[in-house]
Amino acid sequence: MTETTIGPATRGADAVGGVDIRIEDDASPIVRLIARTITDSLRADSSLLPAGLHGAIAIRSHDTPQAATITLADGAIAVSGGVLVEPDLDITVDLNQFFAPVGEPAGAPEFLGVATALLSPPLPDWKTAAVSFWDKARSVPGIPDMLVAVVEGPDGVEQVVAGEGETHYVIAGPPDLLAAVFTGAVDLLAALSTGLVGVRGTLSQLSVLVGASWKVRYDV
Amino acid sequence: MSEIATTATALEADVHTVRIESTNHDGSFHGKNVAPAKFAACAESGFAMADLLFGLDLGNAPTLGFAYPAWRGHLADLQFRPDLSTLVQWAPGVQSVIGDYWQPDGTPIGTCPRNLARAMVERLATRGFTATIAVEIEATLFQESVHEARAKGYRDLTPLGGSAGTAYNLAKSKDWVDYMSAVARRLEQIGIEWEAWSDEDAAGQVELNLVPADPISVCDNWARARQVMREVAFELGHTVTFMAKPTAGYGQASHVNLSLQRDGVNAFYAADGPSDTMRHAVAGLLATMRGATSVMLPQITSFRRLVDLSGPPTTVTWGIANKTTAVRAVVGHPKYSRLEYRVPGADANLYLAVATILAGVIAGIDGKLEPADPISDMAWCAPDLERLPDTITKAADALESDLILREQLGDEFVDYWVGTRRWEWMQFHTTGGDPFAELSEWESTRYFEFP
Repeated sequence: MTETTIGPATRGADAVGGVDIRIEDDASPIVRLIARTITDSLRADSSLLPAGLHGAIAIRSHDTPQAATITLADGAIAVSGGVLVEPDLDITVDLNQFFAPVGEPAGAPEFLGVATALLSPPLPDWKTAAVSFWDKARSVPGIPDMLVAVVEGPDGVEQVVAGEGETHYVIAGPPDLLAAVFTGAVDLLAALSTGLVGVRGTLSQLSVLVGASWKVRYDV
Repeated sequence: MSEIATTATALEADVHTVRIESTNHDGSFHGKNVAPAKFAACAESGFAMADLLFGLDLGNAPTLGFAYPAWRGHLADLQFRPDLSTLVQWAPGVQSVIGDYWQPDGTPIGTCPRNLARAMVERLATRGFTATIAVEIEATLFQESVHEARAKGYRDLTPLGGSAGTAYNLAKSKDWVDYMSAVARRLEQIGIEWEAWSDEDAAGQVELNLVPADPISVCDNWARARQVMREVAFELGHTVTFMAKPTAGYGQASHVNLSLQRDGVNAFYAADGPSDTMRHAVAGLLATMRGATSVMLPQITSFRRLVDLSGPPTTVTWGIANKTTAVRAVVGHPKYSRLEYRVPGADANLYLAVATILAGVIAGIDGKLEPADPISDMAWCAPDLERLPDTITKAADALESDLILREQLGDEFVDYWVGTRRWEWMQFHTTGGDPFAELSEWESTRYFEFP
């Protein structure tokens, strides 16, 4: 008996770079995160998945019980919750550090490179990421009209304003971290907890922004 | 007599504390202890309580991820207004009073469980009906004190009364009997009438039945009875929990029995079976059941109970004298004809459960809805029957898209509730919960003492 109904990965997204990426219904956050990350990777480089590679890759969180299995078969990728099969590769990662390995992976080496590539999409520049984030966040109820993303770099303060209207929200931080938050690679609350990212707005707006960050990170 | 005069009269000279009480959305019993002079001064204007009452999860973190209603500010003050009809002597020198939450301008807080339940009762009254409800309070008792339970992470505790778990078992050890006897005496002292208590299915489990009454009174008594059970457990060095599934074994429920009266007559009674009103009510309950499940099974652990053949209903069904269905109809008796709504877990907030049940009933009556045929076979394991949502996210999705419950309960409540459930789902998965465990430590820590 589990909290999550564990079923076969049957819900397919549109093929990305010729690869059908599937997740189970009612998927857990880690499943959604992995599938979204792989999708971003394949959008950037559709050649990452070697033809004919079949196998299972276990991905485990280093600090929580979260775990998922990536199954490669017939040019398709399925992501399911838990590790219910004997995987060809077993990796423990930091889910909030770009899937950085924690400890030594166990299993077939030929899968390690593939897993690393699939879970390491290129990070766009922070300005592009901010605009893209705002486009995806428009449908979130209560989202402010404008996003003001601010970085302080060697050339002084720079900002990007996305959207227009009467209400706005400010997010400030290092460019790479902002890009990571805006693409969903790093959770907004986790970024805030580092002290490196600051926000200016109401508590209600922060709540909505957290929902927006889930949307880009977990595709919910 | 004015309310203030009533207050002054109610506050006897030997009272040193007045405890103001309410439940939050999760069903936790919250409040403040105030001095009699402070109570008298604020009884009419209300007491300021921070909106975090409805803004924190059971792990004490702010719930995020959704748009807040306008009354949520930066820990803005809400107005707690005591309902003086609930003022009772709780203990020597201590009085207690239950109340509701309002915005400073007098607008009711849409997520306040008691406000919502009362609104549905009043809406039902405009249709000419009054409701009588009864609730079965199920809880599990453990031999250890709450301090010991905390030290053990609420795991591997010793069931009070012995490890045998069979319903109605009278061969219990005296400590179990002493506990429940003390609970019954305390309820009587407070003025809460009880009907029965007995051994329930699981080891250490008990069922307490309160006297049926109007919905708000029963909800108030439910909240207080659970507090009594906690206080008595503390005094006797034991532990009690209302968690949906405190161990990997049996879970526990909170069935609600409902009858409607019109002009003093049981509107569910007909000589030949369910009355028209009962059928319409059933149809409304079935039409809203998938969405209502989010309220009836509010936490992650709630859904672990949904196992065929284990007691809880698993399908969107009704039946006559059929306890495998979600709604059991009791028919053919002028006095006792009623509906038993069997979906709620022991962790459900009864105010919200009752509000949601009445919302479905009202919709069914208003629309003169007709239900599908009652299920006469077993409703468990049936391949052709619609299933209840079996996870917190599926249930939240069902509620979000339930237009009937939106219309009845209001967008503010539905959106807020759905937002908090999705936060709960995210917290479970990302902060230590294990969906593949029978019962994860995260759940025990979060749900054993609260709600």
